[in-house]
Amino acid sequence: MQKDKFFKAESNVVHPNETLVKTHCAYCGMQCGMNLRVNVATNKIIGVEPRYDWPVTVGKMCPKGVTAYQQTNHDDRILKPLIRDDASLKGTKEGFREASWNEAYDLIANKFRELQVKYGKDSLSVFSGVSMTNEKCYLTGKFARVALGTRYIDYNGRFCMSSAAGGFLRSFGVDRGSTLPWTDIHETDCLFIAGSNTAECHPTSMFRVWNVQERGGYIIVADPRETPIARRADVHLDLKPGTDLALANGILNLLIQNGYADEEFINNHTNGFEETKELVKEFTPEYTSELTGVASKKIIRAAEIYGKSPNAVVMFARGIEQQHKGVDNVSGYTNLALVTGKIGRPKSGVATFTGQGNGQGGREHGQKADLLPGYRKITNPEHVAEVCKVWKITPEEMPQPGVSAYEMFELMEQKTIRGLYLLCSNPAVSAPNLNFVRTSMKNLDFMVCSDFYLSESAEFADVILPSVTWSEDEGTVTNLEGRIIKINKAQEPIGESKPDWQIQVELAERLGKGKYFSHLKTAKDVADEFRLASKGGNADYYGATWDKIDKQDGVFWPCKDENDMGTPHMFLDKKFYHADGKAKICALPYRPPAEEPDEKYPLRLTTGRVVYHYLSGNQTRRIQFLRDMCPEPYVEVHPETAKKYNMDHEDKVRLYTRRGEAIYKVKITEAIRKDTVFVPYHFGHEQSINLLTIAALDPISRMPEFKVCAAQMEKVEIKKVQ
Amino acid sequence: MKKRLYLELENCIGCRSCLAACTQCGGHEERNRNYVYDVNPLVNRQTMPLMCLHCVNPACARSCPAQAIQIHETGAVLSALVEKCIGCQNCTIACPYGIPKFDTEQNLMYKCDLCIDRTKNGIPPMCASVCPSNTLQWLTDEEIGNRKKQFNLDNGKWVSSLPYLESETNVKVNLPGILQGIEKLF
Ligand code: SF4
Ligand code: SF4
Ligand code: SF4
Repeated sequence: MQKDKFFKAESNVVHPNETLVKTHCAYCGMQCGMNLRVNVATNKIIGVEPRYDWPVTVGKMCPKGVTAYQQTNHDDRILKPLIRDDASLKGTKEGFREASWNEAYDLIANKFRELQVKYGKDSLSVFSGVSMTNEKCYLTGKFARVALGTRYIDYNGRFCMSSAAGGFLRSFGVDRGSTLPWTDIHETDCLFIAGSNTAECHPTSMFRVWNVQERGGYIIVADPRETPIARRADVHLDLKPGTDLALANGILNLLIQNGYADEEFINNHTNGFEETKELVKEFTPEYTSELTGVASKKIIRAAEIYGKSPNAVVMFARGIEQQHKGVDNVSGYTNLALVTGKIGRPKSGVATFTGQGNGQGGREHGQKADLLPGYRKITNPEHVAEVCKVWKITPEEMPQPGVSAYEMFELMEQKTIRGLYLLCSNPAVSAPNLNFVRTSMKNLDFMVCSDFYLSESAEFADVILPSVTWSEDEGTVTNLEGRIIKINKAQEPIGESKPDWQIQVELAERLGKGKYFSHLKTAKDVADEFRLASKGGNADYYGATWDKIDKQDGVFWPCKDENDMGTPHMFLDKKFYHADGKAKICALPYRPPAEEPDEKYPLRLTTGRVVYHYLSGNQTRRIQFLRDMCPEPYVEVHPETAKKYNMDHEDKVRLYTRRGEAIYKVKITEAIRKDTVFVPYHFGHEQSINLLTIAALDPISRMPEFKVCAAQMEKVEIKKVQ
Repeated sequence: MKKRLYLELENCIGCRSCLAACTQCGGHEERNRNYVYDVNPLVNRQTMPLMCLHCVNPACARSCPAQAIQIHETGAVLSALVEKCIGCQNCTIACPYGIPKFDTEQNLMYKCDLCIDRTKNGIPPMCASVCPSNTLQWLTDEEIGNRKKQFNLDNGKWVSSLPYLESETNVKVNLPGILQGIEKLF
């Protein structure tokens, strides 16, 4: 499927006594194909070999992918369940002792039961993640609702993809992260990329991105920093963090004023154009420039290029989504495609760069507070009835919707939630306003954490369950294209570690809910039940059998039945998923960031990633090569700003906001706005920039505003004279 | 068909995946033999890889008093032979690009061997296999010719390839600026 000009038939090296297991990377939404080298005598993963025949990434990998295999047999792996009897040691690595699975399960079941008898079913909560297979994501949702019977389940996608989901649902009526396959990207004429440091966060997109320019096409990048992709962009819109919606409205206004609106498309396939046109009138290049800090001639040029391009793709990522108006930003940029009709055909469309490996699939199948498998709504009685049939429970037994990830910590603080089962996530690093979040976790009556390393969040647990890495289990994930792909097992779980789906089945049995779970004996069993549970939903995976995935190099959802090949391109029939089949052009009044700079906090703080680390860094900080390349966080400062603060390269500064502070080394670079500082977020304990970030939530997606808050800094140490 | 390592420096995004990959070919003792530099530190994020160019008449091999640096029939300039290398480090000084590295513990020079265990069988080297930006590619002469034509740099202002310090090399390089010659679609 979709083998393009980058695809070359190359062979692989297979060393003596080794086999290659084809799979995908453990980390980001690119899900680069890779082969794991396995020693046949020891059945241990010992290396990596490119997977040239994977059509999306043709053998390419970033340094995280190249070294990902080193996770599996790493010295830091947790090999047995760990119990900590002394709760006063919570928040440290201390006090854990090894225990048997039996003892750990008994303790958990007793504590969970005790809490629920005393404080009600909803005193327990589940906080999960989407760096795991669809099967695990699906079962986690079922486990919370059926085994625990609690309404409180949510996941780290709230900090990642929820704004994209909210925006797409509003604009299109469906949330598939990309309306087109990645093999189209290099063939378009213009990429409009907003809030994505693509070269560092989705590096293996770059050969396609650069090819657009090689063909004479254009790249437009909106980013407060001159990232590697912005450096080579035809137009770099260097906006103030948190002003994206003004930029999107300003560009939309120019597109309409200059005759680039596709009236036929607008009339036949959309609603909302007239009021949007009225609203964006105000966003003249001058006014937009005033709000965003971008020179008006650049705004005019960007609109001209996008308007003129026969085909164009609008792409964005966390830069625009991690704001308290993230959903509006997504719909605002999506408006560009809807008004010009550059969507619903090959080489044109809209895409978000999904952050986590299964950020797409993991948000579709019931880990979100208000969702059930197949993108069904827990508030819709028909949807509930459909899922109840598969789960063999009554609609009355289905819990109500819960609350979003950050709000769960607020409920912990209020003692509404007293117990937590955390898996596949490290909120003690990745959540905003960490002083609050860490205190909430510390004050829990009982916390279980499932992980393969002792993460910063595991330090708050009473029981730690050793789970497996991605390479010791199998299942499907859905990559950033919406393509369902297969992760294969390359070695047996080390120590006594177990896959999370198995842990949940066994725990459910201890909790007396075995009849709903005991039939799930393999990952494949879970997969079959999950496909059935998704059947008929918007995100229908029923036809995406493992067999078909293997034969077709993945299957794009929706894929409704055996004969359905899947849907690489969305909306080719110009039918959107709202009831009337039309897309919505959204009129979106501009709102500034929740916290604007003032005299006391005059700087704009923004956060993001570096190429060497993934999310909270719990995995990548343990890999030697990656740690060597980026051992600690730093604060990027423009030289003129540094001069004002009397700071030099590598000086130490105390950076602080209304919520917290941390000490960082200064990294001087001209590749950032003068009013903005940047810190990467992959670091724990006192190095976490999320001690400083603000928990202003988007009203629709409940996404915190990681990407902008007001900050100040001061030098703490004079650099030694050499 | 013979393929070569081909570099387009303009594309580099500084991810250093090429360094990570160089440790992973299974025969490199997990030590990388290539380099990536920040071109303008403190200013912008431009980076570029520095790779062995596998010179046709290599200074490293010429400078070696013990004939420890052999040239493979594919043209690859190999790492020093363990049994011959006397650890004099002449090569590290002779190479105008500073490619050979020195292991003081083993008293042994080591350098890029163009992943000879792969490339002798026509399999691409590790660095060029993984490079996400196509800075490093593994191409036939015809493909390289096409790329040079595409970039159309014979405009008196830009050149696509310099007469290198060591004249002819097996690795071909396109310098930054390739986009200057591109005709825009509209
Ligand atoms: S982290 Fe992402 S880009 Fe890097 S190798 Fe893995 S999937 Fe590919
Ligand atoms: S892998 Fe390619 S893009 Fe990355 S640093 Fe090396 S040459 Fe540059
Ligand atoms: S060709 Fe092989 S040995 Fe040479 S730098 Fe690349 S990966 Fe390393």
